[in-house]
Amino acid sequence: MRIKVKKIAAIGAALTMALSMATSAAAQNIKLGMTMPTKTLLGKQAVQAAELAVEMINAKGGILNGRKIELVVYDDGNSPVEGVAASQRLLDRDKVKVIMGQISSTVALAVLPLAKVEDVIFMPIIPKHNGVTATGYDKVFRLNSTVAMDGAVFNDYVATQINPTKITFIGENSDFGRLLETSLSTAFGKSKMGFVGFYDLKQADFNSLVTDARSSGADTLVVGGAIVEQYANLVRAAREIGFRPRATVMGAGTLNRRFVELAGPASEGAVSVDIYVPTLDTPLNRDFVTRYKAKFGVDPEKIEALAFEAPWIIAQAMERAGTATDTKRIADVLHSNSWEAPRGTVTFDKTGQALSKSFVVHVKDGQILRN
Amino acid sequence: MSDGLLQQLVNGLSAGMGYALVAMGLTLIFGVLHVINFAHGELYLVGGLGTVLLVSHLGVPYMAAVPIAAILAATAGWLMSQIAVRPLLGRRDPSAVMLSTYAVSLLILQTVLWAWGTAPFRIAGVEGSLEIGALIISHQRLTLIGVGLAMLLFIEWLLRRTRYGREVRAVAQDAFAAHAIGIDVSRVRTMAFVLSAGMAGVAGALLVPITLFSPLMGQNVIIKAFVVVVLGGMGSVSGAVLLGIVLGLLEALLGSVMTSGFASALIYSLLIVALLFRPQGLLKTVR
Repeated sequence: MRIKVKKIAAIGAALTMALSMATSAAAQNIKLGMTMPTKTLLGKQAVQAAELAVEMINAKGGILNGRKIELVVYDDGNSPVEGVAASQRLLDRDKVKVIMGQISSTVALAVLPLAKVEDVIFMPIIPKHNGVTATGYDKVFRLNSTVAMDGAVFNDYVATQINPTKITFIGENSDFGRLLETSLSTAFGKSKMGFVGFYDLKQADFNSLVTDARSSGADTLVVGGAIVEQYANLVRAAREIGFRPRATVMGAGTLNRRFVELAGPASEGAVSVDIYVPTLDTPLNRDFVTRYKAKFGVDPEKIEALAFEAPWIIAQAMERAGTATDTKRIADVLHSNSWEAPRGTVTFDKTGQALSKSFVVHVKDGQILRN
Repeated sequence: MSDGLLQQLVNGLSAGMGYALVAMGLTLIFGVLHVINFAHGELYLVGGLGTVLLVSHLGVPYMAAVPIAAILAATAGWLMSQIAVRPLLGRRDPSAVMLSTYAVSLLILQTVLWAWGTAPFRIAGVEGSLEIGALIISHQRLTLIGVGLAMLLFIEWLLRRTRYGREVRAVAQDAFAAHAIGIDVSRVRTMAFVLSAGMAGVAGALLVPITLFSPLMGQNVIIKAFVVVVLGGMGSVSGAVLLGIVLGLLEALLGSVMTSGFASALIYSLLIVALLFRPQGLLKTVR
């Protein structure tokens, strides 16, 4: 009799232990790692968007039978050294299986070998350098479009939709401006190029450049800048001296809300190509924009949309793969499915490059709209 | 083409007057205190930011905001002079003052970055523009040129025709001798500092509608201002104005025949030539 009681007690204890282990596993949060330059405006906004995605997933009950997502964010200071240190911390201390983030390609390229060694999912969000998806690592997934992808869509748009008689190009004296100019003059030939000018990264007065552009008799102005206060001011200067080309085309991905604010009425009619605008009319995007605006008081832009997308897609992939730790399974699922994101349907090619539709955007009545 | 050339002359004149406005205050400090004020760009930033806040956040009309911004910058200059310059001027090593002005520049810049952030901002300034045929010049640029000339005349009058001006010139030539004949040297220096900071404030206020506001506006402008000060003869206000305008014109005109990067390189190599052959500046120091 005593033995029986002992047995029952033992079974009971074992059951309780097993149950408590099961519930603690179910309750255990799934940590997703992120590095961002959190002290910069862009980095801060990106983290906010990622947190919004996590909040939305958790509000729906989490993934994998009710486990909650937890976002662990460290500052990468836009520097490769700090980026690697932050990622190492995510791996060692927080034991994450996914590292998302980065604005800068240099940071992503520095973190990539580490992700490869640790065999984790690596999801660069904003980096545009072609090299990020060129190492052959099968668990890298880049969300932004590359410079080459943008260039192809951009040149095609200029050729078929604008059909310029003469192009004048003004861009910043950096990789960004130089690459765009090379791509343009290769696509259209030197004969179609009118005045070509570069400004340095400290320049604040653009009247003399736009005067030369006006004098060259071009009907299309292409602006290749990455620093918005500069290229917005350039477009404003063109208007100030009365240069009104038939088309003002901004480098891919540079036509954003801040440009419209800074260039003011001079931004009206400017066109560009991009993969996201907040005015996209899909249910998920409307939901995302409304929530983001309600929470942070401003419309989200591409960086926020892509930062939202990272945990959003990863969580769905984990759910579908039925695991939060088997990175091979998660990567396979990411590769073989298509994903709904604020910008529309996203798929990943075999290098891990996100593919989504690039489209033409233009400014009308101070709003950035899809053509 | 001649339309383009005329427009470039006007562009160069207004860009050059911008350089001149920033350089005027910088050269004044050098003339009187014999130190380089590394925080001059940040005093210019204070003028720009003050104008932006007054116009966009408090609804002050632009032309009223300009003098208020100048007073703000002058106040910042006075504080800076009392805390970071005056106590160090007695030291034998002049680099102490330069280092402390550099520290002040970092302090102001980081404070602006902390309080305002990195975001650029646009304000309208004096709206409208003057059109003569194909030549177009905005009223803001006309205001800039007009105020720049008025400030030059004012400073020249102040230095040459007033008692304070005589004291300034005396201190500039020999502070010890000036003290010996009963001039309050430290008061003269403080006033020069306040005046210079006020001029930086006016420059910031007048240029911010043209360049857009950015927390880096001071950093972006200061190198060219140094070039103008050195070439204009360190300490000469009219030299700084003349060289500022020449630099603006050269940049505008050379930009048509060569890339602007190359034009800048050419202009800065002139600096080396000038330092080698005319270290006293292209014009003799006006004292």
